[in-house]
Amino acid sequence: MNRNIIIALAFIAVGIVVFLSVSKDVSTYASFSLAEKSSQSSKIVGHLSKDKPMEYDPQNKPNEFSFYMKDSDGLEKKVILNKPKPQDFEMSEQIVVTGKMDGAVFEASEILMKCPSKYKDEEIAVKGQKS
Amino acid sequence: MNEIQYSGEHLWVGQAGHFLIILSFVSALFSVLAYFVSFRSKLPNNSMGWAQLGRYSFYTHGLCLLGLMGMIFYSMYNHMYEYSYVFDHVSEDLPLKYILSAFWEGQEGSFMLWMFWHVILGIILTRTTDKLEAPVMFSIALAESILMSMLLGIHIPWGDEAFKIGSNPTTLLRQMNEAPIFANADYLTLIKGRGMNPLLQNYWMTIHPPTLFLGFASTIVPFAFAFAGLCQNEHKDWLKQVLPWSLFSAGILGTGILMGSLWAYVALSFGGYWAWDPVENASLVPWITLVAGIHVNLVSKNTGYATRSVYFFYLISFILILYSTFLTRSGVLGDTSAHAFTEMGLEWQLIFLMVIFTIPGMFLLIKNNKAIGNPDKEEELPSREFWMFIGSLVLLFSAILITSSTSLPVFNKIMTYFSPDFEGKVIKDPISHYNKYQLWIAVFISILSSGAIFLRYRATNWNIKKNKLFSLLIIFVVLGIMLTGISTFMISLYSWQYFITCFAAFFSVVSNLTYIIIVAKGNFKLAWSAIAHFGFGLMVIGILASGLNQKFISTNPFVFQGMFTDEDLEKYVQLIKGKPLFSQGYFITYQSDTLVGKERKYTINFKKLNDSLEVTDEINLHPNAIYSNDFTKVATFNPDTKHYLHKDIFTCIVGLPPSLQSAEEAKKIEDSIKFTTYTLPFKDTLSVANYKIKSKSITFTPENEEYNKHIHDAGVGINLEVIDTLNDTVYHVEAALGMQGALLYNYPVSINEAGIRIKLDEKMFDSYFTPDEDLDYKEYVIKNGDSIQFEGLNITLNGFDKEPIHPNYKKEEDDIAIGAQLAVTGQGINAEAKPIYIIRKNVPMSVKHYSGETGLHIRFSNINPSDETFSFKVAKDKRKTSNISLGIAKDVPRNDYLILQATIFPGINLFWSGSILMMLGLFLAAWHRYSIKNSTNNA
Repeated sequence: MNRNIIIALAFIAVGIVVFLSVSKDVSTYASFSLAEKSSQSSKIVGHLSKDKPMEYDPQNKPNEFSFYMKDSDGLEKKVILNKPKPQDFEMSEQIVVTGKMDGAVFEASEILMKCPSKYKDEEIAVKGQKS
Repeated sequence: MNEIQYSGEHLWVGQAGHFLIILSFVSALFSVLAYFVSFRSKLPNNSMGWAQLGRYSFYTHGLCLLGLMGMIFYSMYNHMYEYSYVFDHVSEDLPLKYILSAFWEGQEGSFMLWMFWHVILGIILTRTTDKLEAPVMFSIALAESILMSMLLGIHIPWGDEAFKIGSNPTTLLRQMNEAPIFANADYLTLIKGRGMNPLLQNYWMTIHPPTLFLGFASTIVPFAFAFAGLCQNEHKDWLKQVLPWSLFSAGILGTGILMGSLWAYVALSFGGYWAWDPVENASLVPWITLVAGIHVNLVSKNTGYATRSVYFFYLISFILILYSTFLTRSGVLGDTSAHAFTEMGLEWQLIFLMVIFTIPGMFLLIKNNKAIGNPDKEEELPSREFWMFIGSLVLLFSAILITSSTSLPVFNKIMTYFSPDFEGKVIKDPISHYNKYQLWIAVFISILSSGAIFLRYRATNWNIKKNKLFSLLIIFVVLGIMLTGISTFMISLYSWQYFITCFAAFFSVVSNLTYIIIVAKGNFKLAWSAIAHFGFGLMVIGILASGLNQKFISTNPFVFQGMFTDEDLEKYVQLIKGKPLFSQGYFITYQSDTLVGKERKYTINFKKLNDSLEVTDEINLHPNAIYSNDFTKVATFNPDTKHYLHKDIFTCIVGLPPSLQSAEEAKKIEDSIKFTTYTLPFKDTLSVANYKIKSKSITFTPENEEYNKHIHDAGVGINLEVIDTLNDTVYHVEAALGMQGALLYNYPVSINEAGIRIKLDEKMFDSYFTPDEDLDYKEYVIKNGDSIQFEGLNITLNGFDKEPIHPNYKKEEDDIAIGAQLAVTGQGINAEAKPIYIIRKNVPMSVKHYSGETGLHIRFSNINPSDETFSFKVAKDKRKTSNISLGIAKDVPRNDYLILQATIFPGINLFWSGSILMMLGLFLAAWHRYSIKNSTNNA
C-alpha cells in the first residue's frame, strides 16, 4: 500500500501547487476605479452608454472602435477596443471588457457581449409589413 | 371577453402531440418501476413478469416519442404557425433541407433527439444484455422519464410565480404570447414564422447535433452497467460486456466534439478550432473521464485491479454529461460563453436530473467499497496496469482542472446565495490559463501512453525483456529529440515547456508507430490502442504547429509572433478593392464581390512570391457575408479556407463599409450625400474643390457596369475625365442614364479614392431623347430596293426577315411578323435598322427601330400587297446638344473595402488527422471487443 499512498500524496501535492498558482489567473470583475490603480489587465462588467457617441472609422482605423461604458458602480469611461466593431453591438445588454486603463481611457483587447435572445422583444411580425 | 373561434388552426396535431407526451412520460415511469421491481425481486428475466412489463412499457415510451417527433415534424413541414415551436424555428423561405436542423435548433427538439438515441440504445440493450437487462434498463428508463418531464409543460402556482415543469413543444403561439393580433380570428393568415437563425443554416447543423447527442446518449450505457453492478453487488461480469459500449461511446462522443470544432473552424468566424469555451469544455470533460474509465476497465478486466475506479469513472462520465447539460441550458454561464442556449426556466429540473443520477450511484459505490475489493498484492512497478492506472489519474486530474475553471460561474452563483455582496470571480485570460496546465497533461499522457503499451499485464516476462525494452526506450528518446530538433526548422517553439511537449509528442509518435509495425505487425486487433495513442501524439504536434505558429496577415510586414504582444498585433486588415497588400509572403487582393440571394460573396486573391519575386502559387478564396432573413443587415460572416497538406490559409471578413453592413446605415449615408448640380458646355472643364472635371465624349451605348446589368430602350453616357490636382491623379469614368418604358434610371459613378460621386442630371435625358408622342413622323412608301432621303441620310430597304428578333418584341402564337432590313448611310454613319411589322389577331402593329447614335426612329407601318409597296414612318430626336448637367457630391464615404482576418495555420492537418486516428482507434477497438464478446458467447 505504501506506493499508492506516495502516488496519492504526489497527486495531492501537485494539486495544491496548481490550485495556488491558478489563483493568480483568477480575479474578480473590477471597476474602472480599481483598474486605474492596477497595472495588470482587468475585466470590467458594465453596459453601453447609449447616449454617448460610438466611433468606428473602418476606412482609416479598422482596428479601433471607441464607445462609452458605465461600470457596475455607475462610473462612465471611454473605452477604446483594439478590434473592429462587433456585430450587433448596439443591442448589447451587458458588456465585459478586458484591458487596462491608459490615462482617462480604458484600452480593451477583448470584449464579450450579452445580447438579448434574438427575437425576445420583437413583436410578432405581420406579413408584408416590416416594422 | 368572448371566446374567439379561430380559423385555420390544426388543433388535433397539438392535442395528439400532447397526449403522446403524457403517455410517453407515464410509460417511461412505469418502465422504471417495473424494471426496479424486477431486479429487486431477482426474478429471472425470461419469465413473464416485471422485466417484460418494463421492456414493453419502454417500447411504448419509444413509440410515443417517435409519434410525438412525427407530429412536430408534420407541423413544421406544413408551416403550422399556430404552434409556438414551429413559429420560432420555421419560416416560408427556410429550405426544406434545413427542416431537420430547425427541429433540433430549440431546446425541446434537442431533448427529443437525445431521448430518441436513448430509445435506440435501449432497444439494442434489451435484446443483448440478458441477465443484466432489468438493472441496466432501469437507469435508461429513469433518464427517459426525467428527460420527458422536460416536455411536460406543467405550471404549478407557487406563491406569486408559477413553478414550471418542462416546456411543451406543442404549446400554441397564442397561449405563449399576448398580442393584439390574436383578437383576429384569422390571425394565422397574418403571421409568418421567424425562421431559423441564418448562422445555423448550413449542413453542419444537420450532422453535428445528431452525432453529438448520440455521443451524449451513449454515455448512459457504461453508467447503467456500472449502476447494475453496484445494485447487484456483482463486480466482474459486466466489465466485459460494457467494453464495446464504452469504446463506441468514447468514439462517437469524440467524433461529435471534433465535428463541433471542425464546424467552428471551417464555417464559423471563430478563427480556430478550440477556444476553451465553457460549452466546449463541458462536452470534453466527460469524454476525458470516459477514456480514463475505458483504461481502468481494461486493467480491471485483465488483472482485477482498479475496479472501484471503473465504477467511479463510468458513473462520473454520465453525471458530467448531465452537468454539461445543466451548464449549457440553464443560462448560468451567462457572459462567459459565446454559444450557450438561451435559458428556458428549467434550472431546477436540470439540477434534479443531476442529483438523482449522482446520489444513489455514489452511495452504492461507498457502501459496496469493501465488497468490490482489490487483489492483495500491489501492482508490479513495470506492469502495464500500474502505468495505465497512473495515466487514468492524470486524465482525472485534467478533468478536475478543466471542470473547476469552467464551473467558476456556478461557484459565483452559489456564493451569492450565501452572501449577496459576493463579487464574482473570473479567469482573466481563459485560453492561456487552460493551455498552461493542459500542456503538462499532454506531456504525461504522451509518455505514459507510449511507454505502457510495451509493458505486459502483471509484468509478465519483464526480466527477460527488460534489456530489450530499455534499449528501445533509448532509441525512442534519441529519435524524439532529433525530430524535435528537425521540427524547429519548420515551426518555432518559443519556450522550454513547448520543447518538452514537442519531444513528448514525437516520442509518442515514434514508439506507437514502432509498436504498430514490430509488435502488432499491422494487425488491427492488437494495434488499435497504438493507433489511438499515435493519433494523440500527432494531434499534440498539430496543436503546437498550428496554435503557436499561426501567422496573421497584417499591415505590419515585419510581424513576428512572440515579439509583439497580442494587443500590438493588428490582426485585422483593411483591403481596398483592387489594391494588393503584401504580408507573410503573399500579395493579397480584394478582387470582386457579387450578391446572390442573401449572400454577398467576395473574391480574395492570394499570390505567393518567391525570392526573385515570381508568382509561385495563386489562389482565390471566397469568404462571404450573409444578410438577415429580412435583408436589413448582415447577419453573419462565413470564412473560407484553402487547405494545403502542410498548412491552411483561413480568411474571414470581420467588417464591411457601414453602407453594406445595414440598410439603416446605408439610408443614412445616402441621405447625407448632397449633390450640387453644375451645367456646363460640352468639352468645357469644371473645377470643384481640388478636382477638374471635363466631359470627353457622349455615347449612346454606355459601358457603365451597372447600366449594362439592365435592359434599356435608350441610354446615354458621358465619358468624364476627373483630375485630382492635389494627388496628381487622373480618373476616367462614365456616368449614365437609361430609359426602360416610362422609367428613367440614373447610374452615377463613384471615385472611391477621391470620395466623389458624379451623376448626370435627369433633365439631360430630355435634351437628347424625344418621347414618341412629340416626334414628327414623316411617312414614306417605297418598294424593295428603293431608298428614302431623310435629313441628309440615305435609308435603303434591302429585303426582309421572316423571323425578326428585337428586344422589345415577344413572339406570340399566330403572329405574322416581318422585319425590314434597312441600311442607314450618310454623314459618316453606316448602320442597320430592323423595324418590325406585325399582324396580331388581325390587328396591325409595329415595333419601331431606334438608334441612340443616329437619333432615328423608324417604324414599319404598312404593307400593301397589291402593288408591293411598303410604308415607313421616320422621325428624328430633337436634340439640343449644347450643355451637359452634372450632379456632383463630395466627401462620399468609400464602400469598396472590407476588413479581413486572414490567418495561416501551419500543420493543422496533423491536428485533424491525429484526432481522427484517435477516434478510429476507439471504433476499431469497439468492433474488436464486440467480436470477441460474440465469439466467446457462441463458444
